Amino acid sequence: MKRIVYRFLAAISFLAMIETTVIANAETRPHYGGTLRVMMQSSPEGLQIPAAATVSDYWDDARTLSQIGDTLVKLDALGHPQPLLATTWLSDPTARHWQFTLRRGVKFHDGSVASATAVAQILGAKHPAWNVHASPDTLLIDLLSETAMPSLLAELALPRNLILKQNDNGTPIGTGTFVVAEWQPGKRLKLVANEESWQGRPYVDVVEIEFGKSLREQAIGLELDKSDIIESAAQASGSQRRNVSASLSVELMALVFVGNSKTQDPRLRQALALAIDRKPIQSVLLKGAGEPAATILPNWMTGYAAAFAEPSNPQRARAVLAESRQPALNLSYDPRDPQAQLIAERIALNAREVGITVQVSLAGAEDIRLMRVALPSPDPVTSLGEAARQLGLSQPASQSGFSATRVNNLRVNTLEDLYQTERGLLDGYGVIPLFHLPVASATGARVRGWQPDLFGQWSEPGHSLADVWLGDSQVERLPGAAVR
Amino acid sequence: MNRLRSCTRYNHGNPHMLGRTRSGLRLGWLTLPSSLSLPLSLLVMVFLPSSLLGSNLADSARQLAHQIAAASGPGTFALDVSNRSSLDDKSVREVRSALEAQLQADGVHNAKAEQATGSVNVVLSESLREYVWTAAIVIGSDETKVALLSLPRALAGTPLAVASPIVIKTTLLFAQEKTILDAAVVDMPGGARLIVLGDEAVAVYRQGAANSMGRWELETSLSVTRARPFPRDLRGRLFLRRDHLFDVFLPGTFCRSGGAAALSMSLSITCSASDDPWPLTVEEGGVRGFYASSRNFFTGVLSPGIGKITTIPSFYSATTLPRSGYTLWAVAAVDGSLHMVDGFTDQVVRGTRWGSDLASVRSNCGVGTQVLATESGEDERDGLRAYEVADRDPAAVSAAVEFDGQITALWPDGSGNFAMAIVRRRDTGWYEAHRISISCGN
Repeated sequence: MKRIVYRFLAAISFLAMIETTVIANAETRPHYGGTLRVMMQSSPEGLQIPAAATVSDYWDDARTLSQIGDTLVKLDALGHPQPLLATTWLSDPTARHWQFTLRRGVKFHDGSVASATAVAQILGAKHPAWNVHASPDTLLIDLLSETAMPSLLAELALPRNLILKQNDNGTPIGTGTFVVAEWQPGKRLKLVANEESWQGRPYVDVVEIEFGKSLREQAIGLELDKSDIIESAAQASGSQRRNVSASLSVELMALVFVGNSKTQDPRLRQALALAIDRKPIQSVLLKGAGEPAATILPNWMTGYAAAFAEPSNPQRARAVLAESRQPALNLSYDPRDPQAQLIAERIALNAREVGITVQVSLAGAEDIRLMRVALPSPDPVTSLGEAARQLGLSQPASQSGFSATRVNNLRVNTLEDLYQTERGLLDGYGVIPLFHLPVASATGARVRGWQPDLFGQWSEPGHSLADVWLGDSQVERLPGAAVR
Repeated sequence: MNRLRSCTRYNHGNPHMLGRTRSGLRLGWLTLPSSLSLPLSLLVMVFLPSSLLGSNLADSARQLAHQIAAASGPGTFALDVSNRSSLDDKSVREVRSALEAQLQADGVHNAKAEQATGSVNVVLSESLREYVWTAAIVIGSDETKVALLSLPRALAGTPLAVASPIVIKTTLLFAQEKTILDAAVVDMPGGARLIVLGDEAVAVYRQGAANSMGRWELETSLSVTRARPFPRDLRGRLFLRRDHLFDVFLPGTFCRSGGAAALSMSLSITCSASDDPWPLTVEEGGVRGFYASSRNFFTGVLSPGIGKITTIPSFYSATTLPRSGYTLWAVAAVDGSLHMVDGFTDQVVRGTRWGSDLASVRSNCGVGTQVLATESGEDERDGLRAYEVADRDPAAVSAAVEFDGQITALWPDGSGNFAMAIVRRRDTGWYEAHRISISCGN
């Protein structure tokens, strides 16, 4: 009897399993056609990446321009260089002389050939310290300084090195998967599919990007089906909605002591670092997103973050201060960052608890700045250099004595080298890392094929807007189908 | 350009770095030429035995112990090991055991905190690239030294198992980082060959010797030249032929291998721009369909057609179901509908939505021919299920076999007894060629 019951249950469950499948909607391969609507926070007046862009402007500019242009190489998820416009590359043993073979047959959107000469002209204008020239079909980069640059490929993979020309109106002309069709500075950008894209025509016909939309406006836009892809505040991984996806931690939030700060006493800086209780800030104000940080680079890049861990310790902070008399400090923040003020006030509260007076203010001379900086490359040396530059560590007055240029040019061949370099940047507490944060995006119901890349740049092949297709788009009828 | 002759970095084909320092961190972008790097990376990444990983862990633990001992000097320390990586418990125990034993041998004795003169806190962590182990050695009250060690991460396995009345069997034939569009196994003098169609080349592999654990070893790689860019969601087909080894159909491109079927190192292929229709059956002279050269589907125009029908809706794939006196075609249309075409009528099947890839497989089960259809097409996990079609109504006859990634291609093989499923793994992004067959469960 028991055996019959088991067989019956097994049969029922098998039939139920089959039934579920028949009812379930199956997807198909990607469809072509339709207009993809995207919203972004920034309001760029030009289609370029300013050197001093805020972190949110940086992501938006990089994401937008990466649809229009290509870099010579890209870095994959493991930080390894992969071909894009350049198919092969060589360097001499000093890493000062580089040679690139460019992909054949690639054309700019205006129909001109993306030749070595054209690419050399664009790159040369971006980098006066490089001698970039063509000979005749290969691209040569000679560093004018005596310092080697082993991270050159990672540098070339950054969005600021997209190969873009400009027309008379300043509109970028690239080799990418989308072509600029209409540009209203600060408001709207319309991109159309590049039918001749060397990476294959995008699935959607048009991408419309609306700029200057706050996160709240974007969320409403998605809810009302007025947008397909929006930026979103990252949340704890466990609480994310199904249509929200976050990158790896690609931003650093940190306190930076400005050059003319009253806090020249390293004991005060160390005491402040020890006073800040990061965990409650992360779980409450950041809604669980990201992770408390004691390093500039996140653990996924280096693996050694544990060696820097220094938990909050108010008792030790008081001991470090040793009842010395310390000046009141002004803490400033980016008023456009919706979370910054609350986080700054919480830090001030932590500081007061150990006897340090911190005033959160946007007026008057700042002593400490609460900053978010982008970590734009999976290559740790490049990201460390970029972070140092954004944090102002390249200034001669930097307490650490390290500079972004020095970081980029260091021959960081081993994990120990990298560790020592980062340790050097953090010694003296000129920078107090607080959190490593991801960037997130959300998609509407009709978006298919959307896989935001791990680094939040929407540019990796397989993770770009060109790979998105729309589930409700009309099935495309090719003219050729009727006549063949 | 004389100065570049002694180059140290080279990228071509497989640009992944292989050079490592003693500690395991990469040395910039040292690469091997493609002719060397492909088979080497294949052997390492695909067939890495688990025992090798185990011995690597223990060796690395001993190496870290040496570093700790050098930093701490002999003495009594409180050792703490915590795991913040994806290593499983067994591996962590192994690391801890090897670490303790080597520390003991190096004169660093483990003791409780209250009896120790210092502490050693080991954290087993990882970055995207590698495992990174850190040891913070605290001597006395203030002095802290740090030891670091890194070692490469290994790939996880792909267990697949299904149990139901009709069982879909999957055999992983091959995996690589580069795109796989189709693959075929052919028995030849000198041993079986695996032919792998990629987006840039057709590679021919030979079954290795017995002592090489049956690995496929690269025999030759033939570049595919193309007149225009390939579309996204690239698809391609490989057909084994009798008078030559194979034909390749790619969007807007046709390639034919040269020479006779006997493979030699001089095997070559000739590619040309072509919009000729692709065969929809393995038999030469069968139904063919025009493929849209800048898209990912067949236009729907057939030449020759299915009986009297020469135009059907645009479709992703079509497969045959033998019937008494005629052949029924199941067609997965671009709009998601399923069509049954018998040479006179084109009937839309209601209420059933399959994925976009279909392939028929002969078996000794049920009615003798089952249709394999992809399921969700979602990115995280994709599945295959077998169906039988009585009259025009499909009915599932197997449980789904799931893959850890997306099925990017499903094609019948030349014998009709198998299908080839190409899966792009979600976790690694690598492509896998699975041979699919059907057997009768009990």
